[in-house]
Amino acid sequence: MKKAPGRKLSLAMVLCLSFTMMLSGCGGNNNNAAPTAAPAATEAPAATAADNNQESTNNAEATADGSPLDLAMKGEYKGTKVTMFGPFVDADQVKFESSIKEFEEKTGIDIQYEGSKEFEATINIRVDGGNAPDIADFPQPGLLASIAKTGKVVDLTGVLDQEKLTANYNKSWLDMSTMDGKDGKIMAGIWNRSNVKSLVWYPKKQFDDAGYTVPQTWDEMMALTEQIAKDGDPAWAIGIESGAATGWAATDWVENIMLRTTTPENYDKWVAGELPFTSPEVKNAVDVMSKIWLNKDYVYGGAKSIVTTAFGDAPKPMFENPPKAWFNLMGNFITSFFPETAKVDVDYDWFYLPPIDEQYGKPVLVAGDIYAMFNDRPEVRAVMEFFTTGESIKSWVQSGGVVAPMNDAPLDWYQSESDRRMAQLVQDASTLRFDGSDLMPGKVGAGTFWKGMTDYVSGTATLDQALEQIQSGWNN
Amino acid sequence: MVGKKKRKSSKTVVNLILGVICFIWILPTFGLFASSFRPAADILHTGWWKVFPHQEWKAGETLQLSKDVDLRQPIEVNGKTYSDDQLKAGVKADDSRLIWENRRARTVNMQEQGWKTTPDLTLDNYKNVLSGKEYKLKEADGSETVQKGSGLSQAFWNTLTIAVPATVIPVLIASFAAYAFAWLRFPGRKTLFVIIIAMLVIPIQVALIPVLKDYTSLGLNGSYLGIWLAHTAFGLPLVTYFMYNFISQLPKDLFESAFIDGASHFTIFSRLILPLSVPALASIGIFQFLWVWNDYLVSLIFIGNQPSVQVMSMKIADLVGSRGNDWHLLTSAAFISMLMPLAIFFLLQKYFVRGLMGGSVKG
Repeated sequence: MKKAPGRKLSLAMVLCLSFTMMLSGCGGNNNNAAPTAAPAATEAPAATAADNNQESTNNAEATADGSPLDLAMKGEYKGTKVTMFGPFVDADQVKFESSIKEFEEKTGIDIQYEGSKEFEATINIRVDGGNAPDIADFPQPGLLASIAKTGKVVDLTGVLDQEKLTANYNKSWLDMSTMDGKDGKIMAGIWNRSNVKSLVWYPKKQFDDAGYTVPQTWDEMMALTEQIAKDGDPAWAIGIESGAATGWAATDWVENIMLRTTTPENYDKWVAGELPFTSPEVKNAVDVMSKIWLNKDYVYGGAKSIVTTAFGDAPKPMFENPPKAWFNLMGNFITSFFPETAKVDVDYDWFYLPPIDEQYGKPVLVAGDIYAMFNDRPEVRAVMEFFTTGESIKSWVQSGGVVAPMNDAPLDWYQSESDRRMAQLVQDASTLRFDGSDLMPGKVGAGTFWKGMTDYVSGTATLDQALEQIQSGWNN
Repeated sequence: MVGKKKRKSSKTVVNLILGVICFIWILPTFGLFASSFRPAADILHTGWWKVFPHQEWKAGETLQLSKDVDLRQPIEVNGKTYSDDQLKAGVKADDSRLIWENRRARTVNMQEQGWKTTPDLTLDNYKNVLSGKEYKLKEADGSETVQKGSGLSQAFWNTLTIAVPATVIPVLIASFAAYAFAWLRFPGRKTLFVIIIAMLVIPIQVALIPVLKDYTSLGLNGSYLGIWLAHTAFGLPLVTYFMYNFISQLPKDLFESAFIDGASHFTIFSRLILPLSVPALASIGIFQFLWVWNDYLVSLIFIGNQPSVQVMSMKIADLVGSRGNDWHLLTSAAFISMLMPLAIFFLLQKYFVRGLMGGSVKG
């Protein structure tokens, strides 16, 4: 790192300038309500003069030698390795690797990604065994939170430029990455990939042919459900079987309905364990859900088949001709289970699960992957910084199936109208909340909640029994 | 005469029981085999036995009911009334079966029974597993590029690289140890042996994190050496015990005469013990090999999932995708992964059977 002072100064100035340019480019989208235009970082110069509330502060920070990412782009860390561990395997892994390829080529940093289906089980062992990867990708923030408590996660507050982060992320995302560390709150990770979970998938072509219209309110949706039942089909395709994780699909329903029938504050309390499952709010949400789930005219195969149908197989009747079912509430990743011949925007599409009570606006339930850093080295910092940019997920966004949580991922990256609307839905959301069961401690969120819902739907427990059983997960 | 007859009938009973046990084991395996040639949608809809010629209902005449039939009332078809549920499941009427063809359009099909003799089979499951899946990636301009995933071959060689030394090393060490425990007199022999036997009951899971910590400080994580040592250590107690049982039963006179002729311990071991215990070596070798070949946990912890070192069991688990969407590939993958153990088993079968008894029947 020793350089002649003159050279260093000019380097600093160049970096400083490019830094500012990039930032002000991102800054254009600072107010995340702006739905359409999210200018790409590359077309920054145009925006330089426009908004610069951050310019001065960042100038100060960037004077030394630029951010790790800038240094990496200059080839400073060529030949270094960064290990990464996460749950993407197979197709997801290919998409992820193609997204980071350009970065690896430009910087010469080798990101060694290791994917495992047993990520959740293995990461604890690796961290405890002192073999933590440089970066780990957590699909369940609850898991990261429990590791963060041990103090083994690097606090990103001082590592990443906070101004840049606030410019590039919706505040909800940043709030969700703040967790309890060993001594006080830390920023435990950054969000890279997100899923939207408030989507109702439907066979678009057939739906239009049948003369149905997309419902705008919950009542309209129920009326349409009844209409479809009269026409001869159960409207909903629901399946919650998922091996050892059976029941998780039901939690998405409860969370979605919770957001639509009570305040976001109540939702947060519920997730934190302060509002018990036995409270009237939660009970009401399950009741609303039951009106669809337990009505044999509304569900393909009847309520009994819900528990035995794999969540990935559930939407299949929608693609028969004519469809045997019409709606499937599921995150955007479900499209990988759709038949390969079905085309997005033509054969299938989604509509937003309509609001129930107008006063709660248009809440959106999301899930996502949070990347945490375990080893603090300059090249790891650079990679982490890279992951906060939309560029790091560009190729994946293009291939479909994910939504970029960053604001500098422009909507025109999305190749289908469906994906674009999804990204916009997240940007426009009046309330953005993370999948509650992923935030709750494992015993509840991945334990009694799944099991209780399964018992309730299969009829082995009454609603009150099931809710008490779920609540008991908090107590032990 | 009576005794002979009795023996014969008891043999029949034994054979019968064995036959039943074989059948119970083989049936699901065969089902898996049949499924591995079926398209995913078929596996989902019908059982594997449908690959055999069977009778099934075939579409026949379509009956159009009036469009405004209320599905929640009894429905009249050809003068008889049926409930909606009956029509959903199919209801017999004379020789044919009535079932909804298009419930929405209110058409009922009168199905007739017929034979289906040619099953729909496909090699796609094997193709995807062996040569790798194809992944479609979209570019900024909307064009698609197809990226080919890796097949099983790399994982196959990795597994073999792990399994062979992880079998040879423990078997070799255990034979030395077994000889020492059986024929050498040294202080603490019994205590040491009891300790080794005691280790049989310790679950390996409790050792994972401590060993991983040591590996981290030694830099052995993710290396072949590390996993060879791990498998060796986890396998040694059983292998030692097994070899001890066999070696201690060899006739004492042999060694005594060898001693008198002036043979050293090493000569006795290499010239006498090893050749004599080939059956035991082979059978415990198969055991250990199978264990290492099928292992998932030890590999998961100590070697990880990097493509260059990934083993078959982990590769196969990954084949199904992050959310299990390609579960049907497991059928063919399971079969391919079974080939190696099966081959080893059939090659060394006669030792295997002898070895099974080696542990149990003494004298």
